[in-house]
Amino acid sequence: MTGGLALFVAAPLAGTALCFVAARSRTLQRSVALVVAVGVTVASIALLVHVDTVGPVTTSMGGWPDAISITFVADRLGALMLVIGNVMMLAVLVYAIGQGSRDEQSPWYAPAYLALIAGVSGAFLAGDLFNLFVCFEILLMASYVLLTLEGSDDQIRSGTTYVVLNVVESLVLVTGVALVFATTGTLSMAELPERLAALPDGVALGLSLLLLVAFGLKAAVFPLFSWLPDSYPAAPSPVSAVFAGLLTKVGVYAILRTQTQWFPDSNRTLLLVVAAATMVVGVVGAIAQADVKRILSFHIVSQIGYMIAGIALGGVAAVAAVVFYVVHHIPVKTSLFLVDGIVEQDEGTSALDRLSGLARRSGLLAVLFLVPALSLAGLPPFSGFIGKLGVVTVGLDQGEWWIVAVALVVSILTLVSMMKIWTGAFWGAAPDTDRDGVLRHHPLMAAVTWFVVALTLAVALFAGPIYGFAERTAADLEPVAATPSGGGAP
Amino acid sequence: MLIVLLTYAVVAVVCLVGHRRSDSWAFPVSVLPHAVGFVWLVSVAPGVLDGTPLVASFEWVPALGLSVDLRVDGFGLLMGLLVTGIGALVSIFSVGYFPATTDRARVAGLLGCFAAAMLGLVWADGLLTLFVFWELTSVASFLLIGTDDRSATARAAALRALLVTGAGGLSLLAGLILLGLAGGTTTLSGLVTADPTGGVVPVALVLVLVGTATKSAQFPFQFWLPGAMAAPTPVSAYLHSATMVKAGIVVVARLAPTFADVGAWRPIVVVCGVGSVLLGGFRSLRQQDAKLALAHGTVSQLGLITILVGLGTPATTYAGVAVLLAHALFKASWFLAVGAVDHATGTRDLRRVRGVRRSAVLATGIVLAAASMAAVPPTLGFVTKEGALEGLLEGGTGWPGALALVGVVLGSVLTVAYTVRLTVGLLGDAPHDPATDHAGGHDHRPGVLLVVPPAVLAVLGLVGGLAAGPVGAWLARVAASLDPASSDGALYLWHGFTPALGLSALALAGGTALWWATRSATATTDAPRSLSTVGYDRAYEALLVGSRRVTGVTQSGSLPLYLGIVLLTVAAASGTAMVVSRDWFDWATVPLANSPLELVACAATALGAVAVVLARQRFGAALALGGSGYLLALVFLLQGAPDLAVTQFLVETVTIAVFLLVLARLPQRFSGAPDWAPLGVRIAVSLVVGLTVAGFALQASTARTEPSVAEEYVARSEPEAGGRNVVNVIIVDFRGFDTLGEITVLAIAGGGVVNLVAAARREQRRKQLLDGADVEDLSGRAPEVWR
Repeated sequence: MTGGLALFVAAPLAGTALCFVAARSRTLQRSVALVVAVGVTVASIALLVHVDTVGPVTTSMGGWPDAISITFVADRLGALMLVIGNVMMLAVLVYAIGQGSRDEQSPWYAPAYLALIAGVSGAFLAGDLFNLFVCFEILLMASYVLLTLEGSDDQIRSGTTYVVLNVVESLVLVTGVALVFATTGTLSMAELPERLAALPDGVALGLSLLLLVAFGLKAAVFPLFSWLPDSYPAAPSPVSAVFAGLLTKVGVYAILRTQTQWFPDSNRTLLLVVAAATMVVGVVGAIAQADVKRILSFHIVSQIGYMIAGIALGGVAAVAAVVFYVVHHIPVKTSLFLVDGIVEQDEGTSALDRLSGLARRSGLLAVLFLVPALSLAGLPPFSGFIGKLGVVTVGLDQGEWWIVAVALVVSILTLVSMMKIWTGAFWGAAPDTDRDGVLRHHPLMAAVTWFVVALTLAVALFAGPIYGFAERTAADLEPVAATPSGGGAP
Repeated sequence: MLIVLLTYAVVAVVCLVGHRRSDSWAFPVSVLPHAVGFVWLVSVAPGVLDGTPLVASFEWVPALGLSVDLRVDGFGLLMGLLVTGIGALVSIFSVGYFPATTDRARVAGLLGCFAAAMLGLVWADGLLTLFVFWELTSVASFLLIGTDDRSATARAAALRALLVTGAGGLSLLAGLILLGLAGGTTTLSGLVTADPTGGVVPVALVLVLVGTATKSAQFPFQFWLPGAMAAPTPVSAYLHSATMVKAGIVVVARLAPTFADVGAWRPIVVVCGVGSVLLGGFRSLRQQDAKLALAHGTVSQLGLITILVGLGTPATTYAGVAVLLAHALFKASWFLAVGAVDHATGTRDLRRVRGVRRSAVLATGIVLAAASMAAVPPTLGFVTKEGALEGLLEGGTGWPGALALVGVVLGSVLTVAYTVRLTVGLLGDAPHDPATDHAGGHDHRPGVLLVVPPAVLAVLGLVGGLAAGPVGAWLARVAASLDPASSDGALYLWHGFTPALGLSALALAGGTALWWATRSATATTDAPRSLSTVGYDRAYEALLVGSRRVTGVTQSGSLPLYLGIVLLTVAAASGTAMVVSRDWFDWATVPLANSPLELVACAATALGAVAVVLARQRFGAALALGGSGYLLALVFLLQGAPDLAVTQFLVETVTIAVFLLVLARLPQRFSGAPDWAPLGVRIAVSLVVGLTVAGFALQASTARTEPSVAEEYVARSEPEAGGRNVVNVIIVDFRGFDTLGEITVLAIAGGGVVNLVAAARREQRRKQLLDGADVEDLSGRAPEVWR
């Protein structure tokens, strides 16, 4: 397994190149994308098993010693994120092929999508701070392209907001990276914790805050979230599904790493306040919307708040809760957007006032929506309940009453807005009788949506082992002073 | 135990999935799991009542103490028998009740899901297990109330019920977790043994009581229950009178013997309970819709049971269990009877119902159920009400107990009054009135499936009263599982001229008189708009309006505003760091510049940047940008990096060239700045960001403690990598992978731009086709975001 980590980035990049060359053949592009996506998915699962049983894997590029070269590192957290990311991106790729929308027909779709895979995978595996920045750039640039493939006025408008703010984010990030290098003299993420700890207070604080602003913008936390609900709804459903599920979580991943490993025990209050504000502002925004996609987009923001709250609380139990939350959240959010894609495909809209009676027309679709919707709101026995339970239990245990109160209230408000979709779109009389039949959509779309919803159920059903894994992951992330439990300590 | 739950699950899934062509089989099949469960419970009853509960436990998430712990003790047995027994009767009733136009398989499947969840709830021993099943019943209830999802009223009622009970559930969850942490346990039985005390326990108990009050429709959360009557009547009979609304009582009953003395438990239980008893009674008395009247009556009766089990003395606990049984029997019977009447006559309006007496079975059932509800001897309702009064008279619980007694007696008066009113209304024949008569042809005698289930339940109420001795002894064994001291409880059909008997007689007389006095009072068929309902509606409305307002501010859609927020956040981050660093950092040590020329070059670069922002014309801005870039190259040169300077120079040149090409297609001038952010504000923001970031960068760059890896690069560049230019070696060798990444970024960006240009052409053609106008200006495509 050693030596091969770079392939998780290199293979999709090679695929990108092939797809550029094969720009004239949609079939060829699709085949390349599928082969690459399946390949990296299978390999990432194998990697996860290897990392959990044997220990972390490191690849140094170019055969230089670790501190000099760019390294890729797969520890439990990275490997886990890699698996979820690849599985989701493969699922959405298949879904998009089934949907066959105008975006997917574009010759730029496949290369950009493969570059997105490369960027996301690279971000999860990066063992070098500057390389992390480069991977962010790749995935950002790919996402710019995917967001504006159709080039409609609406997409240009929201794309402008997205691009401008994310370029600012890149600017902040590269400033942060440069200052980290200036102060520590290294970019190796393995060496950073020790060197950062030696810095004077103000400098360490400033670096942590700058990185937090950059990653926080990517994760769409308060007050840096406004770009997200303005831009995601304009993207075609498969694209917004993968954005919604994954991209913000790359930011969360980076915050998790930096806050737990580099700047432990700092910014607790700040992060708690940010978390609470993010939860509230997101859910309030969701309640105010009258469009399925916009409601779902605001919920991305709100849910990020829960993850930030866990990161803020800190400690193995809290970090384990965050890891589980991320694992649960990605398929749930993705599946909701996939359901919306099916609805839009047939109805041509996701506006609640133009949708009605969907449950009567497709009971299965209703189930496919209801399961992740209730999960998102944290109702048992779905996966979201376990995720929220983890955060809430830690909060109560640490005596942070108010954040628990906020989390619970936001949970019920989440239910309000999800049920707004349910009562608005799925219940009620079908708007006109001639469309009373079953919803029309490609079987691949339904199959993929089923698969992702089944995945969320599996997360709930096998929550015990998954949570155990999350705890081992959290133990790995503890600052060096605490001995990691379980095998495979770095 | 598991087999029972699995049977429910299988049947529910079969019903929900397999209803493509016909669904008339769904309700008959749905009787099966109820029957299996009932028989199983009867078979295990002797052992359970002897004090050996059945236990089953499944690990789920050990790290969170989350497991499915089930435990069938005496009380669980009683509740289980009610859930399965009444469930079976409701299923049989439903076979005759639902027309083929309803999606019967869906309702049957959901009822099955609900029954399984309810069994899990009454058997739950794990604190979190309880919550899991609790919320499951809420969701099932939501979907069932919304059976008629075409009706806006039903949708709103379903949502209201879900939100109220769901929110209460979260309160319960917080309370249970706190109790669990305080007691160091994850189960109810463990909690009762541990009997934790201390700071958080009273708070936790209040949270639990809020949860139970929402679920059991207790004042001030009772308002969702009448609305829930939008559900089909069998559903209401099952969920909203016999089983689900007892969930709160189950929790109260299990905790009260241990915690009734702690904090505000008793006052809360009694005040809410008495409030429910009286409010429900009054509302019921004014209601013409028989089903709604019953719903209000349920609120009232649930209040009574909550008071009894909540007081937590052995006698009241016992009485509470007994009243619970009696209530489940007669209230389910009543609901089913009203459903049968509705089905047969097409109305539930007490002023219009006619001809119910034609069905002797139905009429008998109604009379018997009425007798039990009004606590007329010799029914089970009577003997249990006697037991309740005995328990309350025993006292020992201070003022809450006294208040409870007064409330219960007054409530009994009201109960008698509304029972008489309902009975007279249903069985008496309304005068023929062509204007109000229901459309002809609907009247028919209800089928046997519609009249037998309510009659069976009503007869059980009578038999239970006549066999008060054995039933009482059996219930004592049930109650012993809640509080061992309750095991000497007993029920008597006659126990002499006691104060309790006097109060019973008073209630009967007073209630009848009250009915007579109010029989012609104005009444209503609307679901009432109580203060709590208004409160809920206002809160919901305020939530929607408030959300819109808040989001209008946070989500203005203005890119300059978003940018400003982000930049100020960056400034705040750097600024905070600067402030914290002021203890060790001495600004005086920072040299202004290495040489005067450098100072000039830097200042000129900055001025160029300012000129870019101030420029009104795009052309000018592009030139200023280029100038600034060239000056930056000069700075690089002065710093001793000629290769970097050359690179910068080339890049600037190419950029200006591209700019000039593009500018030809854009309007000459920039669009104006938004009014809310005049130039001064924007300059201030820029200055703050620039100064704080630069300041922090200066501080940070003096903080280096370890040698930089850059020295390694320099050392290894020539001997190992074979390149004399260390920058080149870094780019293509040491950090070659970064370069690959950046090349990819460029390639993708190029692709994206080509695509956008093509898309713009498409769009242009489309617009030309649409209105024939010559659309040359592409800049107008995203103007709004710049405001």
